Amino acid sequence: MSLRLLLVEDDRELRATLREALLVEGYQVLTAASLAEAIAMYGQTQLEEASTPAFDLILLDLGLPDGDGSDLLVKLRRKQSTPVIIISAREAEGQKIHLLDEGADDYLVKPFSIGELLARMRVALRHRGNQVRAAVTRYEQGDLTIDLATHRVSRKGDVVHLTPTEFNLLARLVRSAGQVVTHRQLLVDVWGQEYLEHTHYLRLYMGQLRAKLEDNPAEPQLLLTEPGVGYRLLDTES
Amino acid sequence: MNALTSSQQLMRYAIGLAIWLLGWCLLLFFDTHFDPVNLSLILVLTSALAALWLPLSVTLLASVVGLMAFNWSFVPPRGTFAIDLHQHTVLLIAMMLVNIIIAGLMVFLREQSRCAQAYAQAAEELRIWGDKLRDASEPGSLLEELHQALARLSVGKANNHPVALVAVNGQLPATNLSSALQRIGSANAEHEEALWHCLRSGQALGPGTGHYQELDALYLPLRGRSMTSGAAMISGIISADAFPALTQAQALCDQMGAALERHHIQQQERQARDQAQAQVVRNTLLAAISHDYRTPLATIMGAASSLDQQGERLSDSQRQQLARSIVEEADRLRRLTSNVLQLARLDAIAGKIQGDWESAEEIIGSVMRRMRSHDPQQRLSTKLAPDLPLLWGDSLLLSQLLENLIDNSLKYSPPASPINVSAYLDKSLGDKHHLVLAVRDQGTGIAAADYEQIFEVFQRGDHRKPGGAGGTGIGLALCRAIARAHGGELEFHATAAGASFECHLPLRAQPANPESHL
Repeated sequence: MSLRLLLVEDDRELRATLREALLVEGYQVLTAASLAEAIAMYGQTQLEEASTPAFDLILLDLGLPDGDGSDLLVKLRRKQSTPVIIISAREAEGQKIHLLDEGADDYLVKPFSIGELLARMRVALRHRGNQVRAAVTRYEQGDLTIDLATHRVSRKGDVVHLTPTEFNLLARLVRSAGQVVTHRQLLVDVWGQEYLEHTHYLRLYMGQLRAKLEDNPAEPQLLLTEPGVGYRLLDTES
Repeated sequence: MNALTSSQQLMRYAIGLAIWLLGWCLLLFFDTHFDPVNLSLILVLTSALAALWLPLSVTLLASVVGLMAFNWSFVPPRGTFAIDLHQHTVLLIAMMLVNIIIAGLMVFLREQSRCAQAYAQAAEELRIWGDKLRDASEPGSLLEELHQALARLSVGKANNHPVALVAVNGQLPATNLSSALQRIGSANAEHEEALWHCLRSGQALGPGTGHYQELDALYLPLRGRSMTSGAAMISGIISADAFPALTQAQALCDQMGAALERHHIQQQERQARDQAQAQVVRNTLLAAISHDYRTPLATIMGAASSLDQQGERLSDSQRQQLARSIVEEADRLRRLTSNVLQLARLDAIAGKIQGDWESAEEIIGSVMRRMRSHDPQQRLSTKLAPDLPLLWGDSLLLSQLLENLIDNSLKYSPPASPINVSAYLDKSLGDKHHLVLAVRDQGTGIAAADYEQIFEVFQRGDHRKPGGAGGTGIGLALCRAIARAHGGELEFHATAAGASFECHLPLRAQPANPESHL
């Protein structure tokens, strides 16, 4: 059974283009041009009850003619965990961080390539339902293996020794592999609520992790930086 | 001031009386030597001299009394007011008339000279005040002095605050209770209201002005040619001296008003000039931007319309080539848009960036990852000094700066020549270490003259070379704006070995490192 997508985008050309491209990839695509239409398609009852989600993934534009797409995200997140990828022309980091913290799975700034969109969708779909299913506990990429259950990290066959904080930070990224984790999320999950302002901890520990896990820390291939927003561990499938 | 006047007057009486006394002594002394006609001349002289000091009424009284006494003592028959000879009657009447005329003339002269002196003093005060106002860069700072000058004119000694002043800079505020006022001295609610009325109407109010004569204080507007910039209240009656103090006070106020107006107009002029300059820069920028947009748009238009109209006649590889150039040019447009947007944003926030602790390694890492896709020949390499301190800044802006510099090098240095991206500490400036982000290539770079010109295009609004070298202008202008917003500078060095762009960023005291969590 093909996956059902809801594409909420008010620009006709972009909507048609994305729809065609997604249909080619084998997705079942429904489109909405406004907030009201999107809510109608979703069905009021489904939006408010935690029943089987009507869609497997939602692509959501922010600047819609009858409101802001983030309203739908907030409504949806009260009950559901359907993956949501924001597609918007707004590129202020503040907004990006805010929406990611609100529960958006990813944020793509227009213009973007289809390849990029498909890659982000695959990651979001893979993480779908993490809340109910067991989270990712093993990460393998190239010559690096991370096993969260046994606390073992090995590279080129050799065990890599990490401090507890380094390991916690890496583990947090592994659980969301392929997805952006904001500074805020990392600081709260690894250090605690009171360390929200300590971005420099992240710089320090990410530097240490890169030195231990990357071939060339100046050009990281695994522990990627999203300037101004957060970090992303390279997706295992890309 | 009253006390001063009375002591001066006492002095004048004393001198006048002394002269009369002296005159009588002379008369008595010469009594046996001269006849009454000659003696009468001494009396006339005494009366004239005394008139120099005594007021008119006292002078007249003294001459009449003197004449009668002279008649009694010196005119035969002595010891009576009777007159023997008719010629003596003529003498006495003539003396009487001469005395009155002289006294009158003397007093008139004295008043005249006193007025002239007062006017000269007032004129001098106005001249000095005018000079001060002319030399002051900010006339508002002289309000305190105007306050003192008006206080000198006021006789309201019982009140500690005889004078209150308000002044506005430019437009009158909408409400009377505005804080956008300079004020000196205090005023009660009633005074306050009258001050505002005076300020808004531009009319003098109070006794002697013809408006609201019943008010207990005088209100004078600080008038300019076309606007009133303030108002002054002078409580107590202005000294009713020989010269019109009201006119003087108004003249002082008007000079201040004119100076305030002039200052306001100068400010407006400067603003208008700045706006015009900004408009020119904006127009130049828009012209440069639209020029830079046309090139990629032309490619996209060409490729897309070719696919649209010649689709079937093209080979697969040709179609793919066209599609790829559309993607590439669209990406160029995206970066151009982002540059323009950031430039506008930096302009709007006046260089006040939202900073955080950032690592040079991470910034270079994220930029390199993105730029690799534009670098199929692997021309890019990185070199990072070990243990670089953190820098305080906006990572998105700094990434954009590096991206623009690398993009320039990829475009303008010889094909396949290496390009190095590095970060290191510059310790050449003593204690003030700089963190340097540098991009070096083996090209000639942009000629130094062109380099300056690229920035000038945006600074002076001089649009000789639209867009510099095809989009380089906006990109480099943004790089410099970013470096400066971080308190640093973008430097360009060209040597025989190649060209380099360096972004020098000042370092801040490093944040405390976590210890307990290691």
